[in-house]
Amino acid sequence: MSVIYGLIPGMILLGLVSVLVFFWAVRSGQYDDMEGPAHRILDDDDMNDGDSPKS
Amino acid sequence: MDGHTHRFCCSSCLTVCQAIHEAGLAGFYERVQRREAEIAPPPDMPVDIDQYDLDEVQQEFVTCHGGSRREAMLLIEGIHCAACIWLIENALHALTGIELAEVNLARQRLRIVWDDSRQSLSAIMRRLAAVGYAALPYNQEMAEGQIQRYNRRVLFRMGFAAFGALNIMWISIALYAGAFSGISSEYQSFFHWVSFAIATPVLLYSGGPFLTGAWRGIRQMKLTMDLPIAIGALATYGYSLWQMLHGYTQVYFDTVVVFLCVILIGRYLETLARRNATSASLRLMELQPRMATRLIGQSEERVAVRKLHVNERVLVRAGERIPVDGEVLDGASHVDESLLTGEPMPIAKQKGDEVVAGAVNMDAPLMIRVRQTGNATTLAQIIHLVEKAQESKARVQRLADRIVPWFVAVTLMLSLLTFAFWYQQDMDTALLAAAAVLIITCPCALGLATPMAIAVSSGLGASEGVLIRNAEALERLSDINHVVFDKTGTLTEGRMKVVSFRSMRDDMDDISLLQLAASLERHSPHPLARAICELAESQGLTNQPVETLEVIMGQGVGGCVGGHQVWLGNLRLMKEKRVAFIDTYEEESRRIQQGMGIAVWLAVDGQVVGMIHLQDRLREGAAEVVEHLRKKGIGMTLLTGDSRQAAEAIRQQLGEMAIVTDVSPAEKAEAVQQLSQQGKKVLMVGDGVNDAPALALADIAIAMGSGADLSMQSSDVVLMGSDICKVLYAIELGRQTLETVRQNLQISLLYNMLLVPAAMGAFVTPVFAAIAMPVSSLLVIGNAILIRQRMRRRD
Repeated sequence: MSVIYGLIPGMILLGLVSVLVFFWAVRSGQYDDMEGPAHRILDDDDMNDGDSPKS
Repeated sequence: MDGHTHRFCCSSCLTVCQAIHEAGLAGFYERVQRREAEIAPPPDMPVDIDQYDLDEVQQEFVTCHGGSRREAMLLIEGIHCAACIWLIENALHALTGIELAEVNLARQRLRIVWDDSRQSLSAIMRRLAAVGYAALPYNQEMAEGQIQRYNRRVLFRMGFAAFGALNIMWISIALYAGAFSGISSEYQSFFHWVSFAIATPVLLYSGGPFLTGAWRGIRQMKLTMDLPIAIGALATYGYSLWQMLHGYTQVYFDTVVVFLCVILIGRYLETLARRNATSASLRLMELQPRMATRLIGQSEERVAVRKLHVNERVLVRAGERIPVDGEVLDGASHVDESLLTGEPMPIAKQKGDEVVAGAVNMDAPLMIRVRQTGNATTLAQIIHLVEKAQESKARVQRLADRIVPWFVAVTLMLSLLTFAFWYQQDMDTALLAAAAVLIITCPCALGLATPMAIAVSSGLGASEGVLIRNAEALERLSDINHVVFDKTGTLTEGRMKVVSFRSMRDDMDDISLLQLAASLERHSPHPLARAICELAESQGLTNQPVETLEVIMGQGVGGCVGGHQVWLGNLRLMKEKRVAFIDTYEEESRRIQQGMGIAVWLAVDGQVVGMIHLQDRLREGAAEVVEHLRKKGIGMTLLTGDSRQAAEAIRQQLGEMAIVTDVSPAEKAEAVQQLSQQGKKVLMVGDGVNDAPALALADIAIAMGSGADLSMQSSDVVLMGSDICKVLYAIELGRQTLETVRQNLQISLLYNMLLVPAAMGAFVTPVFAAIAMPVSSLLVIGNAILIRQRMRRRD
């Protein structure tokens, strides 16, 4: 059973990695607009040069 | 090390400097301050906060109200609950020279009016910093960045708490399973330590804002919503720690973590919902294009809209939004102004027509000369009105704001009572029940009840072309029982057309009569004047110079043309000016009025020389509105500066209503006042300069959008289009809003009344409490958003 002394810190470490990935995702703006990208992919080409997509 | 000494030195230096300053030796202070500021600025404050006192800097975001009264919009970072509003407003009102400080929770903004001679803006911002809020002058781009940063921070904290909650739950399962099937104390204490290792960073990082908020509140001797949350979390955490260190088994680290996680999820959902609820006015803002095509000679260039100047030329291609208010120089196209006025039909525009920023150019390029830019455009003014409405507070809300600190105090008391009661039984139950009470009571729902409903309604109204200027208007709209209509321009189209003009003297032909009339009326915004001038312009007539121009409201104009005293106006003016009048004229006047027309008489040197016949017709939908109001049992009065016959003509078409005729603007106001003295709640619908006093006196006033600016100023609701049916929409909107506010208050009271006793009776765990609390806030927000559905169902 002493294996849990290694496994549990390992689990937490893996969890921390996923937290870091999440932080990166937030920081790179992936959660800023939950709807826009879904629509943006459908408007494939820009209609005219005036309307650049909002970042 | 070096930097450390410096900073220490500086802050103590600063203290000394301030002491010197207070002693009146400001010159020395300034010199030292400037030198020190270069080396090490005060750490917790932006260095350039003083710049906001400079007029050049203030120009961008401050409006001067004459004298030293100034108004500004500040974006406040760190607001999360109604208690914060209370804290900020009270902290500011304690300063001298503050006239008004109003915080908007949904938009996280502070509207402040202060006396610049007695208080500087930088001092206000410092005061805000001292109580723990970062203030920045508001402009749109910055607001977006700020909201985004706040959302991200909540997301970070929520993500970390979620990680902690998910992991600590596995440990808890192991511990619970162990409690049933037996577990060696070695593993048990290991699991406890792991829980501790997870809970501590979650408490410090994810729970950080609550802890600092509560601490700040204690230091300021003000009770904020963070306090119960912080006490709940800390007490549970501390108790678990004590249990663990003494080798006991009642450890609740998992409760702390899950509770924080759930509260943060609630906060995040709240920010999303808030953003949604107010998006209608944001959408208006997005109408403002950022870039425009400027024409210089024959060449084009893309520039930012704010770099455009008056009288420059701009090219708007088909499909683009018009960036500025202006006049069409070249091209003909249709323009869609539906988002501004709510009118669905595109409007034809050609050379010489005016266009407004935010409208979409539909089918052909237009060349436009810039008339107004930036904050002076109609769109910017509309946005300003909407924002003001969303930020102004209804009476109900002020009450809610005052209640919050008491609410928190009562919560603390109740939880203490709960603890004392259950402590007689055992420590565990006592602690958990007390924590649940702390967490479950939620003044947030109470604080959000009104502002959310108002934000949603004014946003919704704006998208329909009904601008609500203040929150109280919505409240009062719902209980009106008498409507006063202005005739011209309100029930009728107000777009008078000249039907005929005729000279009555031989020495003057018809055309020169028109020319004379147009010269007098050339600067008047009155609809009759505009109709006459339009016709004159279309005939290519030039204006004659007029001296000593005099405008008599509700009657007409007068002036000196070529040495002759000329009067132009209605019968009353003629009588007042003792113009020789024949009975047949009077009869003719009456005949025209019976057909809803207007006769305007022109007199030169006391002799009538001619008459212009103008005709108006009922607005589309006017009959419907009157019919609907009558069904509801709402009384109606028609006010007009015109004669009885004209009013009778309207009454014949619209059915029974009281009529008051031949009234001057002052008499109109009197008539409105009389009605309200009879105990009636009067809604006045009007437009034009001559309605302004009456509008101001009515309990609530609606101005039709095509009206003059003056009437917009003195009204509570502005209809952007000319659709009179929107009056009904506004009344319904007010009714729905008040209804929703009542429901919201009931929801939050019911919630607290049901769940607080449950928590005191130890029926509720802290984790359930943490779920219930944000749910109550979300219920209130959701109910407010439902106003949209309810209004749609009505159509």
